[in-house]
Parts: sequence; structure tokens; C-alpha cells
Amino acid sequence: MEPGVGSVIRPAHRSTLQGLLFVAPWIAGFLVFNLYPFCASVWFSLCDYSVLSQPVYLGSKNFQDLLHDPVFWQALKNTLLFAAVSIPLGTAVSIGLAILLNQPAGAQGLFRTLFFLPCLVPAISLAILWQWMLNGQMGLVNMALRPWFDGLNSLFDCSLRPPDWLNDPSWALWGLILTGLWGTGQAMVIYLAGLQEIPEELYEAASLDGTSAWQRFLHVTLPMLSPVIFFNVLMGLIGALQTFAVPYILTGGGDGPGRSLLFLATYIYQNAFDFWNMGYASALALVLFLMITVLTLAAVRFGEKKVHYQGR
Amino acid sequence: MARVILEELSKVFPGTKEQGSKVAVDRVSLEIASGEFVVLVGSSGCGKTTVLRMIAGLEEISSGVIRIGGRRVNDLPPKDRDIAMVFQNYALYPHMTVSRNMSFGLEMRGFPKEEIRRRVEGAAQTLGLLQPDNLLPRKPKALSGGQRQRVALGRALVREPQVFLFDEPLSNLDARMRVEMRAEISRLHHQLGSTMIYVTHDQTEAMTMADRIVVMSEGRVQQIGTPEDLYYQPANRFVAGFIGSPTMNFFHGVLLKTQGALAFAETCPAGKTPVWTLRLNPELAARLADRTGQPIVLGIRPEHLTPDSPKPSSLEIEVDLVEPMGAETFLYGHTARHKCACRVTAYETKELEGKKIHLSPDYERLLFFDPDNGHEVSGTKIPRIKLPLPVPHRKPPGL
Amino acid sequence: MKKTSFLHLWVCRILLAGLGLLFSLPFFWMISTSLKPLRETMKMPPVWLPIPPQWQNYPEAMAAMGPFWLYAANSLSLAVLNVLGTVLSSAVVAYGFSRLEWRGRDGLFFVLLMTMMIPFPVVMVPLYGLFRELGWIGTMKPLWAPAFFAGAFNVFLLRQFFLGLPRDLTDAARIDGCSEFRIFWQIILPLARPALLTVALFQFMATWNDFLGPLIFLAREEQYTLALGLQALQSTISGTPWHHLMAASTLVVLPAILLFFFTQKTFLRGIATTGLK
Repeated sequence: MEPGVGSVIRPAHRSTLQGLLFVAPWIAGFLVFNLYPFCASVWFSLCDYSVLSQPVYLGSKNFQDLLHDPVFWQALKNTLLFAAVSIPLGTAVSIGLAILLNQPAGAQGLFRTLFFLPCLVPAISLAILWQWMLNGQMGLVNMALRPWFDGLNSLFDCSLRPPDWLNDPSWALWGLILTGLWGTGQAMVIYLAGLQEIPEELYEAASLDGTSAWQRFLHVTLPMLSPVIFFNVLMGLIGALQTFAVPYILTGGGDGPGRSLLFLATYIYQNAFDFWNMGYASALALVLFLMITVLTLAAVRFGEKKVHYQGR
Repeated sequence: MARVILEELSKVFPGTKEQGSKVAVDRVSLEIASGEFVVLVGSSGCGKTTVLRMIAGLEEISSGVIRIGGRRVNDLPPKDRDIAMVFQNYALYPHMTVSRNMSFGLEMRGFPKEEIRRRVEGAAQTLGLLQPDNLLPRKPKALSGGQRQRVALGRALVREPQVFLFDEPLSNLDARMRVEMRAEISRLHHQLGSTMIYVTHDQTEAMTMADRIVVMSEGRVQQIGTPEDLYYQPANRFVAGFIGSPTMNFFHGVLLKTQGALAFAETCPAGKTPVWTLRLNPELAARLADRTGQPIVLGIRPEHLTPDSPKPSSLEIEVDLVEPMGAETFLYGHTARHKCACRVTAYETKELEGKKIHLSPDYERLLFFDPDNGHEVSGTKIPRIKLPLPVPHRKPPGL
Repeated sequence: MKKTSFLHLWVCRILLAGLGLLFSLPFFWMISTSLKPLRETMKMPPVWLPIPPQWQNYPEAMAAMGPFWLYAANSLSLAVLNVLGTVLSSAVVAYGFSRLEWRGRDGLFFVLLMTMMIPFPVVMVPLYGLFRELGWIGTMKPLWAPAFFAGAFNVFLLRQFFLGLPRDLTDAARIDGCSEFRIFWQIILPLARPALLTVALFQFMATWNDFLGPLIFLAREEQYTLALGLQALQSTISGTPWHHLMAASTLVVLPAILLFFFTQKTFLRGIATTGLK
């Protein structure tokens, strides 16, 4: 091996040293920005803490308060509902778009860009734009819906109106989900690449086996895409549970009509930086963390059985 | 089993911005008898795979007709043509077990469970998928290349189709596996007696497995015949050069009248005397008489040249390379204008390299080709001697 | 190829066109609104093409936001710093995790993967306290200093890429007597250009779009990023002047979109790779 300096150190030790040296920036970052804050968070969650004064140990009081806090449960419900709807919906839409784009219909590059562009829009612009789009009277969405409602009204002699999205407690969350659908382009790009990796031969063998197009989708496309789907769903889940920016901006830092747009991350922020109740905020954050961990593990366990990986 | 008839089959790929339209298959006509094993052979891009895919229904037919079992199938989707295909890359469903891979096609067609089970087990038994290890519950990624290819075969077997189609199934296997699978497929053919259409670029596979071979080049059929036909009676220069290894030697030259007889004179640099002048025997000379004075190409196989003492019609070469293969040796050398190979059934050493030797041709095995269109023009009927060659001589059944 | 019937082809084309239109509509609407005079924004039925286009909405919006160019400069400098720090540190760390063999390597890498599961809300409170202790609140340091310590996601991405480079290259270099750092700097890095570019692009976008970070850690108005400045505008003004808001929104989106158009291929390929691993 290499002679010279440090030949006193055994090769195994030398290579460990070298490895650690390269990885040192991350180790430092890990200790300062990951480990310390995490442990501190656990500690704070057991305290009454606002940055301006020292933490006071409370035991599990924060967690008990949490369990009895209706606002927490509301935020939890909103967050879970949002994730439970937008992820399957978003997955179906992005896979559908990817399949459509994969057809030899021409101008694939153009449409791929078109569908992807919305993902580049920063949260702030996104929120402002959709605040305008979902406006009850003048928003584009309702303007498009109104003729249909008018038609239904004259047909069935009733007086339905398209919802006042962002002001209606029952509809605000759905408006947000709609906003999320605009951003399915990113996952679509990944699915498109995945689709293009599926060997044409498999489809040919399947058509020789007597399958219909739908059966080919079920037995060839989906299984071959399953690792990609798994990854996207997992990432999507972790992201959805941490949703903050768009609802925060839409509601001006608040909860939305009837607290329907209060997400867990928003509630944590409010407790931490509006109410300066950082102990409680830390407790909430830990609950969020636990939720993400549990759901991720469950997803991985599920994925192990269902997802098919190509051995290479 | 069924007859397969191709009538003036053509495929034209439409042009793109970069290149004009391409004629991949040019009016191919072929009649395959029921139970025959036909091999389509040629180098890449010759159109053989396209023909196969058109028979399968995976490629649209530009013009012409395909009949399977007397039925016109041009407009039928692949699943209705009663064919099964073995793909080059196996095309096994990676997420299904071997057993399911084989039964899938039958499931899709609604066969009863009992029948499916019977067929799968039968095929597995035939292909050695049950002994020594039961491969049925395994997934493709846990199998070797040869095993995967057997599963692909099995998937075709269980369908009990009228015609089996093979698309270069052995290309992805190592040399030893290829020999084994060649024998396996031939054995299968004997056992089932089904019509099989096989595509390959490997002339060894063609020569050893086929009842008849279709040699293709640039979308057109060059020759159709038994392996023996193609070896002894190639219709043109392409076929002559394609079949046989090492390839046939070709010498450019001209037919001259010398001393009252017709002779082939090898072309040489201007002003020099030809290295090789070969006097032709009378019947051959008579058949080539009207080409006197014209350029011609002489073809002779390496196995039909023998090192000899210098004679008036012998060819002198300088040996560049000696390849001793044990029971035989290949000598590669050159004349002033041409490269030449010679096969000797003996062990020769490398000492010959750099030396000059004389080769005598077998006069009964000379072939002559038109230098422009490549057709074989001498019409020589080469006597077929039953040497211990690994070429099975079979008459195509049912034709 | 399967035969694509005429009907199939045109149904796809119509669907694509329709969906493409649907997805582009919000963009059109945003730009269209930004060029209208205020009263026209509320007109029904909607006007799509404002004539004449009110270009002055843009400078007006910029003025309403306050020190627009200052905010833009802040966003830009943050983005540049983050890209620099991320690319450098992630590359070095990824090299350590991929091209070197050492005891504990895989264990530490597992820890790295696990950190990706820690949601930001968990660490943001203690980080705030930490930065406060360091006296960094009131500067922009909290928003770019961490970038120099190699984020998990980028390390993961680059490590995958480095693993794909042939072993022979580094082995030959080692035999030639190169130090590890030399190998990293002169052999691996140049080969990794496309991956590094991808990381740089992703990081630029992420920093440009970052909202929560600036919201928490920036205290002084003159340090606000564009995102924050725009949000301040949105939350303070009354009477919702949509034409100004749309103009401002468009301005904030523009750089990201421009960057995308210049780097489309790399960008899209990078996204596909993250998913396919």
C-alpha cells in the first residue's frame, strides 16, 4: 500500500481515519443540527419553555395537555385527511399522466415541461395564485364550475352554488388538495422514466399471452413500477404530514375557516413562535415525528411484501 | 402443427426527419411445411427478425399475406394466431414465479385449473425444471440464464400452439449453454413434431438445427434450402460466404483461354504474371465458355485446399498465421492480391508462419460467381460425400 | 411496436391537449391578471387578454413590496451560498461513504438515512435557541451555514452516483500514488459534473423557494428574501389588489422558470434519477 507518513498506524485504522476525515463535515453537522436539536426537543417537550427564560421541568404535563387539546386533534385530523386523500389521488393522476405522455402521440417534450412547470412555483406564489383561483366569486375555478351548477339547477330546480372554497370550513381542505394536484408533475417525471425502463418485450409476451390492455397494465406496468410507486408514496407521505407553507400563507398564519386548514406543522409553529410556548410545541413536534416513523415503518413493512424489486 | 405461408411479404418503415423510409423486408415468399424446422439466418439488419415479428403479429405488415394453417392472419392480433414465441431476452414476468410465468397465458385464456396444472407439470418435466431442483416456485431472478431460457420455452410449450417462433433465443447464453440448449430445442422438435420458425445470426445454429434454412440479406431472401444445399450449392456469393467457418475463399480473376483450355487467372498488379493460373476441366470449361475473357470470382472453401508440392495449377501463399486446433489446423495466408485460409486435418506447428507453401484445390469443388451480381454461374453440381460432418440430412416432411 | 390505431392516437392527443391546457391555465390567469387594471380583475365574465396591458403594475408591485431589489439580492446570495456549500460538502462526504472502505462506514450511513426522517418542526425550536445563543438571529447565517455541513439527501444522491463510477479508475490512481483527496478532487469530481449540476440545481430551487426557514430565522426586514417580502405584502395590504399580487408573484416565479429552461435536460434527468435510484 502507500508508504510514508503514518505507517505506524495500522492500515485498518488508517482507512477508518481517512473515511472519518472525509465524512467529518457531515458528522459535525449531524451532531449540531440533528442530534443536539433532537435531544433538546425531547427535553423541551418535558418542560415549560419559552426561549426567553430557562426551561422548567414539567414531566409529562405537555403530553397530557396534548391529549386533551381539541385544537391538536383537529390539526391531526386535518393533516391525516389531507395525506389520506392527496397521496392516492396524486399518485393516480401522476401515473395516469405518465402513461398518457408515454404514448407515441408526439410533442412529448413540450407536454412533459408543461405538466412539470407548476412544481417550480415557490410556495408563496403558489399560495397567492390559488387564493385568487379559489376565490368564491371571482376565482377561475368557480367561474369554470358555475355553468355546470347553473345547468344542474335548471335541470333539478334547486339552487346549488359552487363552494366558497377558502371561506367554507367543509371545503377549504379540498381546495388545498386541488392545489396539490397541480403539482403532480414532479412525480409524473419519475413515473415516466420508470415506464420507459420497462422492456417492450414484456408487453409483447403479455399480448401473446392473450391479455387486454387493462390486464397488461395490472400484470406488467404496475408490478414493474412498484418500486418507484413505493418510493414516491413514501416521500409524498413524509412531505404531506409536514405541510406548512401553503396553508400558512393562505390563512395568513391562522387556522382557516373553522380551523379546517390548521395543519400539525402550522400548530407547532404557532405554539413555538406566536405563543412562545416552546415546550408544548416540542411535544407536538415529537408526536409528529412518531407519527411519521410509525407510518414509514408500516409502509416499509407493507412494501416488502408487495413491492417487486428487479435483482440486478 | 400447421403450414405457414408467406406471400410477397414486405415491411417498409416510414421515414423520419433524419433518414428516409427503409425497406426492411422486400417481398419475401416462403412456404413452411407442417412440422418443419425452418431457420431464418443472416447478419443484423437483414430483416429476419422483422419477418418473424410480422408472423407473430407484433409488427404491422406493409404488404403481402401471411397464412397459418391455411388461415389468413394479417389482421389477427397475436393472441388469436395460435402461436407461441420465445424471446431473446426471455421476457419472463419478473414478479411471478416460474409456475405462474408458464401458466399465465393459459389463465388469460380461461383454461380450467386442472388442465393448466397438467400442462405446466408436463412441460416442466420435459424441460428438466423439476429435477434436480424444483424450479417452479422460484422467481426468474433466482435462475441462471439457461434455466430462464427453459422457462421461456416452457411458457411456449404449455400453449400447445400450431407454430413456435424463436427470436435469437440463445444469443444471451454462454458458449457451453448454447450447445446444450441447441440440442434441447432439437430434441423438443423431434418429440413434438411441431412447426418451428427460428431466427438467428449464427450459422452454426442454422446448420445444426434446421430442416431448411432461409438466408436473408438486406431484406431479401438470398437462398432457401437444406443445410446441405446451402453448403454445397450456394446460389450466390453472399450465401457462399455466410455458410461455413472459416469462410469460403474468394479470388478475383479473369477467365483466359490458354493452350487450348480455359483457365482462371488471378488478378494481379499490372505487368506482373498472375500468381495463380488454374486450368479448368472440360465440362466446367464448357459451362463457362461464354464468359471467356471476362472477370469472374472464384470461390473455394478452406477445407478444399490442400498443401501440396508445387504444381502448374497450384496456388502459392505465404503463411501469416497458424491456428492449431488439435485435430485440425487453420492456415491463414496471402497471395499478392488475396487473403486465403486453408484447413488441414493434422497438427501443424507455428513453424510454418512466414514460410511459403503451395496449395492444390479440389477440382470438383470450385464455384464461380459473377463479380457484379454475385450469382453462382458455373452450375457445378458438387458431389455430396457422406463425410462424418455434423450436418443432418433430412428431407422436409409433408412438402 | 404495437399497432397504434388512428382512434387511439387522436384520443391521446386530445387528452394531452386538454390536460395541457388545464395545467397551463393558472399560469395564463396569473399573468393575465397581473397586466390588468384593478377594476378589470373583478370583471365578469373574465377578460383573458388585457388590452392594453398594464405593464406599470409590475414596478408598482415592486414598490409596494418595499426594497424589492434588496430582497432579490438576499434571495440570490442565499441561493448561491447554499449551492456552494451543498455541492462542496455533499461531494466530500459522499466520496467518503462510497469510494472508501472503512469500519463503521455502513453503520454511519444508516444513521444518515435515518436523519432524513426527522421532520423540520422537531429541530426548528432547538435550532432557534441555538442560533440565538450564537447571536446569529439577526443575521442570515442560520440560512446558509448549515449548507456547508452536507445535507443527507444530497449525500445520498451523490453517493449513488459515485458508486456507479468504475473502480478501476481509482485503483489505478492509488497505484500511481495519489492521495485520496487528490483522487477525489482531480478524478472523481470532474467525472461527476452532471450529478453535481443536478445537486446544484435542486439546491438552488429549494433555497429560492424556501419559506419556513426565512420565516423563522430572519428577524430584520432588510434581510428578508423575496418569498418573505412577498408574504409580508400579502398579509399587510388591505383590499387585495390582485393585479399587484399577481405581478409580484410572477416576478418571484420567473427566475426559477428561467433557470429551468436553461437546464431542462439535466433537471428532468436528475428528478427521474432520484426516483429510480
